[in-house]
Amino acid sequence: MIAATLGGPRRRLRAWWLSRHTRTDTWTLTQRNIYIVPTRAGFVFAAVLLVMLLASINYQLSLGYVLTFLLAGAGFVSMHLTHNTLRGLTLHLKTPQPAFAGQSLPLEIVLTSPARLQHGVGIGFQGDTEAGQAPASDVFVDVPAGGQATAHLAFVPPKRGLHDVPALRAETSYPFGLFRAWTVWRPAARVLAWPAPERPLAPLPAAPAGAGESAQRRASDSGEFEGVRAYRRGDALKQVVWKKAARTGELVSRDTSSAPQQELWLDWQSTQLSGTEARLSRLAAWVLAAEAAGVSHGLRLPGVEIAPGSGAAQQRRSLDALGQWS
Amino acid sequence: MVMSQAQINGRWRGFWPGWSHLPRDSRDVLFLLAVIGWTLAPHFVHLPLWCPLLTALVIAWRARLAITNAALPGRWPLLGLLALAMGLTWWSHRTLLGKDAGITMLVVLMVLKTLELRARRDAMVVFFLGFFIVLTNFLYSQTLAVAAAMLISVWGLLTALVLAHMPVGRPPLAQAGSVAARAALLGAPIMLVLFMLFPRMAPLWAVPQDTQAKTGLSGSLRMGGIAELAIDESIAFRVRFEGGARPPAAALYWRGPVLARFDGQEWTRLEPNDASAPRRGAQLRIGGAPLGYAMTLEPSRLPVLPLLEATPNTEADGPRIDGPRAFLRSDLQWATERPITERLRLTARAYLDHRHGPQDDELSLRDYVDLPAGFNPRTLAWAQALRNDPRYAEASPERLVDAVLEIIRRGFTYTLTPGTYGDDNENRYAIDEFWLDRKQGFCEHFSTAFVVVMRALDIPARVVTGYQGADPDLQDGDHIVRNSHAHAWTEVWLAGRGWVRIDPTAAVAPERVSVSRNLRPPPGVVAGAINAVNPALMAQLRASWELVNNRWNQWVLNYSRAEQFDLLKKLGVNAPGWEDLAYLLIGLLSGASLLGAAWAWWDRHRRDPWLRLRMRLTKRLAGLGVVAADHEPPRALAGRVRAQLGARGEALALQLEALDGLRYGRAAVPRPDPAWWQAFAAATASLARSR
Repeated sequence: MIAATLGGPRRRLRAWWLSRHTRTDTWTLTQRNIYIVPTRAGFVFAAVLLVMLLASINYQLSLGYVLTFLLAGAGFVSMHLTHNTLRGLTLHLKTPQPAFAGQSLPLEIVLTSPARLQHGVGIGFQGDTEAGQAPASDVFVDVPAGGQATAHLAFVPPKRGLHDVPALRAETSYPFGLFRAWTVWRPAARVLAWPAPERPLAPLPAAPAGAGESAQRRASDSGEFEGVRAYRRGDALKQVVWKKAARTGELVSRDTSSAPQQELWLDWQSTQLSGTEARLSRLAAWVLAAEAAGVSHGLRLPGVEIAPGSGAAQQRRSLDALGQWS
Repeated sequence: MVMSQAQINGRWRGFWPGWSHLPRDSRDVLFLLAVIGWTLAPHFVHLPLWCPLLTALVIAWRARLAITNAALPGRWPLLGLLALAMGLTWWSHRTLLGKDAGITMLVVLMVLKTLELRARRDAMVVFFLGFFIVLTNFLYSQTLAVAAAMLISVWGLLTALVLAHMPVGRPPLAQAGSVAARAALLGAPIMLVLFMLFPRMAPLWAVPQDTQAKTGLSGSLRMGGIAELAIDESIAFRVRFEGGARPPAAALYWRGPVLARFDGQEWTRLEPNDASAPRRGAQLRIGGAPLGYAMTLEPSRLPVLPLLEATPNTEADGPRIDGPRAFLRSDLQWATERPITERLRLTARAYLDHRHGPQDDELSLRDYVDLPAGFNPRTLAWAQALRNDPRYAEASPERLVDAVLEIIRRGFTYTLTPGTYGDDNENRYAIDEFWLDRKQGFCEHFSTAFVVVMRALDIPARVVTGYQGADPDLQDGDHIVRNSHAHAWTEVWLAGRGWVRIDPTAAVAPERVSVSRNLRPPPGVVAGAINAVNPALMAQLRASWELVNNRWNQWVLNYSRAEQFDLLKKLGVNAPGWEDLAYLLIGLLSGASLLGAAWAWWDRHRRDPWLRLRMRLTKRLAGLGVVAADHEPPRALAGRVRAQLGARGEALALQLEALDGLRYGRAAVPRPDPAWWQAFAAATASLARSR
C-alpha cells in the first residue's frame, strides 16, 4: 500500500524524466547528456581523506598533508577521467531482428570511440537498477582508440507486438570507482515480437482433397520425387541438390514451385479457439510446422490474407503479420 | 631419492605457472599483496614481533590461495584469527586503544581483509585501509627515504584500484600503472596549491605524544635504554646575537626541562610540594653585561623555550614573543602555556654571569637528595666508602664534586654507542653497571650517574636537559643549533652560591663542549669504506646529501604558517592572516573549476575533424547551388559538380576527387590537410565570383 503510494509519483517522475530523452538510434555522448555523481565508495574516500587530514593536523604531519592532498588531487582528476571515458563515445543500435515473445531477442550495440581507448564501459538496461537488479547485468566492453566495440544485450519481449526498445544505460566508474558517470539512451528502433508458438503443437488443419494425389502423381510421372532446375538467386540452401552439384559442378535446385503441391490455408476460423492471443499462438505454431514440413501455406486473418507460398520469406511474412495483427 | 632437473622444474611449474600464465584475478591479487607487503614493511621494526610474523604468514597463505586458485577461508577461521590478533595486541600493549595498539590492529585488519577479497566493496576497504597505513608510517618517520617508499606504495595502491575497475580482458599492469600515475600527476598541481595554502593550525585536541628515542628534548629521561643514539640533524632553532657577538661555544647552555625526580627508572620534572617555591621564583642574581639575541624556534611540539642561560623574566630582558605566553619556572626554565607547533620568533637578553637558587640551606632542598630505595646499591655503597675515606672526612661539597669529576676524567669513555644498561631487573642496577663496570656512555649516562652519586654523598643535585653549543659555521649570520646538540648536564647546590652548573660530560669529553662538536656516531661500514678510499668524495657526498635533506626539512617538513605568511607577503598581502590564505585557496580552486568548465564548454563543439571539414565543404557547395546528400562521398559530389557546373566546375571536381583519395584512397591520411581546404576554398571563391 505504502509502496504503491510512494511508487506512483516516483514512477511517474521517472517516466517523465525518461520521456525528455529524444529517441534516436545513434547516441553521441557529450557534456550535455552525461550524468556524474560520486559513488558510495567516493563518499567513503572523502571521509577517509577527512580523517587523514585531521590526523595530519593533530600530529602536525607535513607528509600527512602531502599524502592527503595528493589523494584529493588524484580523486578530483579521476572525476574528469571518468567523465572523459564516456564523452565522445558514439552508441549505435543495429536494427534488431524480430523474435518470438518470451524468447530473448538479441540487441547489438556498437560503440565507437573517435580518439582514445576507453576502458570498462558498461551497457545495460536503464530499468535494471530501479528493479533492484545489480548492475552486474551490465555488459562491459573496452572501446579501442579510433575503433569500435560491440556489446550484446538480450531483451525478452513479454508479449507479441511492436515494442519500443527499453531505455539503455551506458555507464562507467573507471578509473578509481569514486565517481559513476552514466547516460540514458532511448533507441528509436522498435522490435517486433511474434506470438509465442503454441505448445504442444495442435494438428495442422486438414488439407483440401486431391493434394495427396497430386504428390503421388508427380512421383509416378517423372520417376523422381521432385523436379530440378538451375539454381536461382534466393533459393534456400536446403533446396540445392548437393549431390548433383558435386557431380556436374553446376548448382541445381529442387523445383518446388513448378509442381503446385498441396496448398494449406492457415485460417483464423479453423483454429477452433476463442481467445485472440491463443488463436495467434496456434497459427504461429502452424506456420512453423507447415514450413518444417515443406508444405505451401497461406494465412487468413480477419482483414489480412497472405497468398500461399513457402520458404523463409513466406514464414517471415506470415509471422510478421501475426505479430502485428490487431 | 634423486630428482632430475626436469622433475624439479615440473614440480615447480605445478605450483607456479609463470607470471604470464596466471589467471588475471590471481595476478591482480598477487600484485595487491606485494603492494600491501611493501606498505606494511616500515612498520615491522616497531611492531611487536608476532605482528610481522602473522602478517608474513597470512600474505604467504593468501598468495598460495591465489596461485592455486583455491577457495578463500570461511568466516569462522577469519574470526578466530581476528580474535587471536586482538588477544596478542592486548598482551603486547595492555590496551586496544592508543597509537601503537591502534596501528598494530590496523596492520592486522589489513592483512586479514586480504583473505576476504570477494566483492569489489572488499577491495575498496583494502585500498582505503592502505592509504591510512601509509599515513601512519609518517607518525614514525618523515625522512626523504620513507617519503619515496610511501610514494611507491600510493602508486601501487592506485594501480590496483585502476585494475579493479578494468573489468574486461587482461589489461597489462603497466597500462593500469600509467593511468594511476597520470591521475596522480594531473592532480599534483592541486596537491601543491592545497599544501602551500591550506591554513596550518594547531592540533585540534591534545594527542598523546610519544617519547622518541632520538636526540632532542623530550621532557623526561630514561637512562640506559638507548643502545645507539639516532642522530637527528634537523634544526632546533637559529640564533643571532646582537652586535654580531660570538660567545664561546662552551658558554652556550640552552636550558630545557630540569629533571629532579628519580623513580629508579625515569627522570622527570619535580613538582615542588612547597607552595612557596613558585612565589620566590628562581632567585636569579645576574651580573656582567647583557647578551641580546634573536631566536627562531622550529616547532618542537613541547611547551619548552630553550633560552640561553640565564634569561631573566624582567620586562627589559625577558623574551618578546608573538605567540603563546611564556613564563619562567622556579627552576629557571622557560616554558610556554601550550606546545610549540609552529615556527616561533623571539628576542631576549641573557646574562652569562649569573647565580640562582636559595643561598642558604633550606627544607625544599631535601627533595634534591632523594634516591629511590633498592636501586643501584653498589653505587650507594661506593659513595659511602668515598665518604668514609679519611682523605675526604672533612671535605667540603666542592672538594667532593672535584674528586668525583676527577674519577670520571680518569676512568670513563665517551661514546654514542654504549649498548643498553640495566636490561634485567627493571633497570634496578643500570647506574651500578655504568658507574662501576662498563664506564662508557654519553651525556645522559654521565649526568644521571653524577646526580645519583652526588645525592648519595648528600649533596643536592639535579639533571638539566637542553642544548649545548651551536654549529661552528654561521648560516646567513645565524648560529644553527640542531637537535643533535641536545645535551644533559647537572646542577649541584652549594651553600652560599646556590645552584652551580657542573657538566660531567665536559670532564670526560672536553671537546664535546669546548668546540661544540655535536653528537655524531661513528660511520657505518659503507660510509667507512668510501671514507677510506676517497675522503673528498665522502665529504662531497655528505655535503650534497645534507643539502638535499636540509631542503626537504625546510620546504616540506617545516613548512608552517610562518612560511605561508611569508608567501602571502611576497604576493603583496600586507598583514597576512589565515583568512587571506583561505580566500586565496578558494579563489584559486574556483578559478581552476571555471577553467575546467570553460574547457568543457569549448570541448562541446569538438567533433571529428573529417566531419567538420565535411560540414564546411557542403556549406560551400550549397553556396554554389550543389546540394549534397548526407551519404555521398566526395567523389559522388565531384560527379554532381560536373553535372551541374559543367566544364567550369572541372577544377573543383578534381579537388573533390583528391579529397576522396586523401580520405579513402591508398594514400589516406589520418587528419585533413589544411592546405587542401585552402585550395578548395580558393576554387569555390573564384567560381562564386565568376557566376
